[in-house]
Amino acid sequence: MLKMPYEKRKGLYGYGFIALWLVGTIIWFLYPLLESLRYSFMEVRPEKGGMQGSWIGLDNYIYVFTADQNYSKYLVSVLIETAWKTPLILIFSLFIAVILNQKFKGRTFARAVFFLPVIIATGPVYSIINGDISKSGAASAGQFSTMFSTDLMGELFQFIGIYGLSDKMQTIVETVSNNIFGIVWSAGIQILIFLAALQNIPVSAKEAAQMEGATAWEYFWKITLPYVSPMILACLIFTVIDSFTAPDNLVMGRVLDMQSDWQYGHAAAMAWIYFAIVLAAVGIITAILNMFIYYEVE
Amino acid sequence: MAKERPVVAPDGVVVGGGLSKKEIRKIHERNMNQEEIAYLRRKEAIEKVWPIARFFILFGLCFIILYPLIYMVSCAFRAQDDMNDPTVMWIPRHFTLKILKQTMDAMDFWPTFGNTLLLNIGCSLVQVVTCAITGYGFARFRFKGKNLLFALVLMQILVPSQIIAIPQYMEFRYCLGLQPLIEKLDPALGAKFNLIDSPLTMYLPALMANGIRAGLMIFIFRQFFRGLPKELEDAAYLDGCGPFRTFVQVMVPNASSSFLTVFLFSVVWYWNDFYVSSTFFTQNKTMALMLKNLNTRLSLVLFNSATVEISPREQILWMEAGCLLAVLPLLIMYIFLQKYFTEGIERSGLVG
Repeated sequence: MLKMPYEKRKGLYGYGFIALWLVGTIIWFLYPLLESLRYSFMEVRPEKGGMQGSWIGLDNYIYVFTADQNYSKYLVSVLIETAWKTPLILIFSLFIAVILNQKFKGRTFARAVFFLPVIIATGPVYSIINGDISKSGAASAGQFSTMFSTDLMGELFQFIGIYGLSDKMQTIVETVSNNIFGIVWSAGIQILIFLAALQNIPVSAKEAAQMEGATAWEYFWKITLPYVSPMILACLIFTVIDSFTAPDNLVMGRVLDMQSDWQYGHAAAMAWIYFAIVLAAVGIITAILNMFIYYEVE
Repeated sequence: MAKERPVVAPDGVVVGGGLSKKEIRKIHERNMNQEEIAYLRRKEAIEKVWPIARFFILFGLCFIILYPLIYMVSCAFRAQDDMNDPTVMWIPRHFTLKILKQTMDAMDFWPTFGNTLLLNIGCSLVQVVTCAITGYGFARFRFKGKNLLFALVLMQILVPSQIIAIPQYMEFRYCLGLQPLIEKLDPALGAKFNLIDSPLTMYLPALMANGIRAGLMIFIFRQFFRGLPKELEDAAYLDGCGPFRTFVQVMVPNASSSFLTVFLFSVVWYWNDFYVSSTFFTQNKTMALMLKNLNTRLSLVLFNSATVEISPREQILWMEAGCLLAVLPLLIMYIFLQKYFTEGIERSGLVG
């Protein structure tokens, strides 16, 4: 042991530090992952002692796309929703982070409020206040959402007095307002990450911009955005991962339905298709963004 | 500046103390060209209008965020009649604790609360420690295959738990395939080898740094430990500390705020977790499960039958009261420890 070079010995200690995790990962992550990949190529039925089944090749995948009436529809709608919601969330959280980085009275309170969704939004409470309790078979899902946002917006319109001005405008405003709840509620961590990045902008950059007479607009595009650009990628990935676990994710809901219906093969195939598409999309976006991201220190 | 010492204008006149601000500015403006004046004026106008606009934006958005909470509080203290009274929007006409009490009965509140708290804090503590050890291993040592293994951590962050839940269920149900073997030897003992419904389904993965969102925690710890100066480590080694003692005695005390943040997040995630607990628990009472099944439990408690449907409009009251009860412990924690939630992320080195 002592004859070994120091560096090598230290490396062995490294293995020691991660050993527990490695064992756990093989048991609780890697094996289930491969197992679920295997299910997706099999006709599986639960039996005593584990899953039994026969190899059927790509049949599950073909079934999911051709025979399942809902899956492709759900998949497309979820992907489209992720595609437009993610940039909106990023823009929104950057905007809010810039505002919360300014000095004003009540800033601590505002920060606390904007971060509040993080501690609630991952739980079942969110699905209830978001008007989606269909899983538990309640008939009142519609009641919640009408109570919740649509009505409120209508009342606000009535109060302001532009209600009925133009139907088209109202529908646009209403779709945005219905979604703003989802956006605000899923932007907590992103706001925080951007806020931290904003505080890392060196004072010298700020001073230089002031000396040169930059307007707030120019300052945002020339100073703020380059400095926070590495964090845009982090926020993007975080947003996408979060959308997996969102309680109103239709694809994941379908996967769960299939699982409770004992159709594990189909469920696994569905989950893997979704995951593969999202992973590929994130990979491509990462590659594209990496060309534009400004790293201060290479 | 002008207040403290006299300003010398270019034409040689000394101005200062006696002049008002407005006059000083006039003298300043005399030396500027058109463009500079326009810039200053614009800046001034924005500085006056912006705080008002900012107030409205923030106020509106804060309202959107707080609306469900306000509504919860408003609902939890209402009587049933208030739900059918169109004049009641926010403030209940009949204050009552009845709904809250019934909901607490239906959720079996105190035992559920105790059980959830114990499970959460236990799992979080274990998970924070194991994740910190793993994160340190990735941050401070060089070994073969490190990048490959770290890619595995990133995979853990990315893979949704729905994908691996069923195989995991099988592992727990049959104790990693041990159960059939034991059953062959002794059927009575074999029947006991079933981890479903046991808190071990939460503890075991947490113990091996594989609990809920463990990948993210390992990542945060790795980033944090990477940021600590190398001299710290070298000094400890020179003084004869082994790597593990260095970690415990030198590194951990430096990481206390990071530990607290990760611990708090872990508690929140375990508290909110519905997916994992609903897969592995059928009887075990956790807050999230109770809330999800509140509908059926309510009918049982109120009418002694699971099939009675409560009017959806009135049902809102119990649901909102249930939400309030489930969120309240987190909220209280958040109010007192808010600093550690927000500052923790900034300090943890996740950024920069």
